Amino acid sequence: MWETVAQAVINGLLIGGIYALVSIGVTLIFGVVKIVNFAQGEFVMIGMYISFFLANQFGLDPLLSLFVTMPALFVIGVLVQHFLIRRVLGPNDMPQIFLTFALSLLLLNLALMLFTANYRTVHTSYSDEAFHLGGLYIPEAKLIAFGVAMLLSGALWVFLHTTDLGKAMRAAAQNRDVAMLMGINPNRVFCVALGIALALAGAAGSLLMPFYSAYPFVGQVFVLMAFVAVVLGTLGNVMGALIASLMMGIAESLGIQYVGADSGLIVVFAMLLLTLAFKPTGLGGKAR
Amino acid sequence: MIRHGLSARTLLLLAIGLAVMIALPLVVKSSFAIDIFIRILLFSFIGTAWNLMGGYAKQLSLGHAAYFGLGAYTSTILQIDFSVSPWIGMIAGGIVAMLASLPIGWLCFRLRGPYFTIATIATAQALMLIFLKFRDFAWGAEGTTIPNLGNAPLMMQFESKAAYYYVVLGLLVVGLAITSIIERSWMGYYLVAIGEDEDAAEAIGVNAPRIKRDIYMISSFLTALAGTFYTQYIYFIDPATAFSFNISIEAALVSIVGGIGTLWGPVIGTVLLETTSTLLQSWLGSSIGGVQLTVYSLILMAVILWRPTGLIGLITEAWQRYAKRKPARA
Repeated sequence: MWETVAQAVINGLLIGGIYALVSIGVTLIFGVVKIVNFAQGEFVMIGMYISFFLANQFGLDPLLSLFVTMPALFVIGVLVQHFLIRRVLGPNDMPQIFLTFALSLLLLNLALMLFTANYRTVHTSYSDEAFHLGGLYIPEAKLIAFGVAMLLSGALWVFLHTTDLGKAMRAAAQNRDVAMLMGINPNRVFCVALGIALALAGAAGSLLMPFYSAYPFVGQVFVLMAFVAVVLGTLGNVMGALIASLMMGIAESLGIQYVGADSGLIVVFAMLLLTLAFKPTGLGGKAR
Repeated sequence: MIRHGLSARTLLLLAIGLAVMIALPLVVKSSFAIDIFIRILLFSFIGTAWNLMGGYAKQLSLGHAAYFGLGAYTSTILQIDFSVSPWIGMIAGGIVAMLASLPIGWLCFRLRGPYFTIATIATAQALMLIFLKFRDFAWGAEGTTIPNLGNAPLMMQFESKAAYYYVVLGLLVVGLAITSIIERSWMGYYLVAIGEDEDAAEAIGVNAPRIKRDIYMISSFLTALAGTFYTQYIYFIDPATAFSFNISIEAALVSIVGGIGTLWGPVIGTVLLETTSTLLQSWLGSSIGGVQLTVYSLILMAVILWRPTGLIGLITEAWQRYAKRKPARA
């Protein structure tokens, strides 16, 4: 009995690491630039397709393609901020919501046109390997993905707390006007925030590739999860998003185990709606 | 300038417009063309329903498929299980949607801006999952076909496509009339005030939660009517069509592209988007997936970046420039 529970918890925790990479990106952009990036999931999808093509054409291991996807998506992030998002920053909600939403629709449907709706997979030497720990089963590819995800999250935390640029980003998140008075260049900070957030999404794509299929709609799964985690973990809070993502992974996995294979998403939506009903400021909880 | 009535010239233009719309199926006989007109009228109507809340009050919902689906399912369940006419089912569906908007609104209005939008997406998706999961309640994922009774106007089934055209034209006229009445009433001003700055509106005494709740109910009611109509038109219902995210997207898209928070915006937006989509389909064929939404999203981005007031804004600006030049010439 406890073994089934423990197994479900482990499965959820491991996939929760990937959710964390996506939701940390969403919460970072929300905290610093004050917009919600509806296209975050599509950047995971782009990361997956880059890894898939590198593996397919050049036989590059998806984990090594991290060194391609992360810089590539960092650059895309800077371009998206500089040419698109910068132009809609203002008091008005509509352009901000629908610009990134349009970007999401565009990338998704371009992928559908270029790559069709087929599922693409990469098979690596470790795709089917697993560790056995007592009666528990720990897939190697998922464990590596979780480990790298935690490493990247830790690196981001260190960056935000020790470097000048990181501190500038946190300052801009706390109070943009005062930060600007202190001489922080907002557009530069915003570009870096977008770049880092998209690089994390790209990393999620590469890490997923050994055990997950790439298809145009794949990002939607992760972005919904990320939105819930970001609300749960208090908007704009990186550590909150990380912890909430791991919890969501576990909740989804327990839902699949005990309610039924297709109820993972129902559990997630139920969590979102319950959070909204009882704690709309997130579990960390101070009013904004 | 506050106008409480319609000027004689506007009334004349409206009468001519309506006469043209009524005469259209008598002239155009191609059922392909009628089908496109029906799509344009249907999405103009859904956009008009969305625009009441999303446009005037700027509560940017991407979950209106929830009400489209509830309307479709209510009338279909009533028709198949209880032999109730879809005309009655349509109103019943509207009432169900209106009631559903109360708890959904209670939840979603706790959030503002983008997180309101996300919450509305989640509620619509959750409803779709519920209808997928409970198969004995409403046929599950396979859906069901509507029994074809031939020509049965009392059961909202017609042999000629033109009849469907008139039904949806009627819906659009009702939607535009309601919008026009609200636009000129106190509620319209409250909605615009909330859309501009909710805190400021509350500070001067607008009861924002109540106004938002009321307009959400009206908007949901109208959206549900479209759901019933669509199911009767295609003779089929399943959760993926009835609660399709594309319905939510297109409702918002046509309003924004045409002119958010304006009476004619959704109509103009739908005409542009649906015409583009039809031309693309006849040019490329419908074999390539994703073409339509790729073009829609490019148009949406262009509008947001260069003309946030939509096509209506473009047209009024051009008209004003023309009107300014005119006295100089005279």
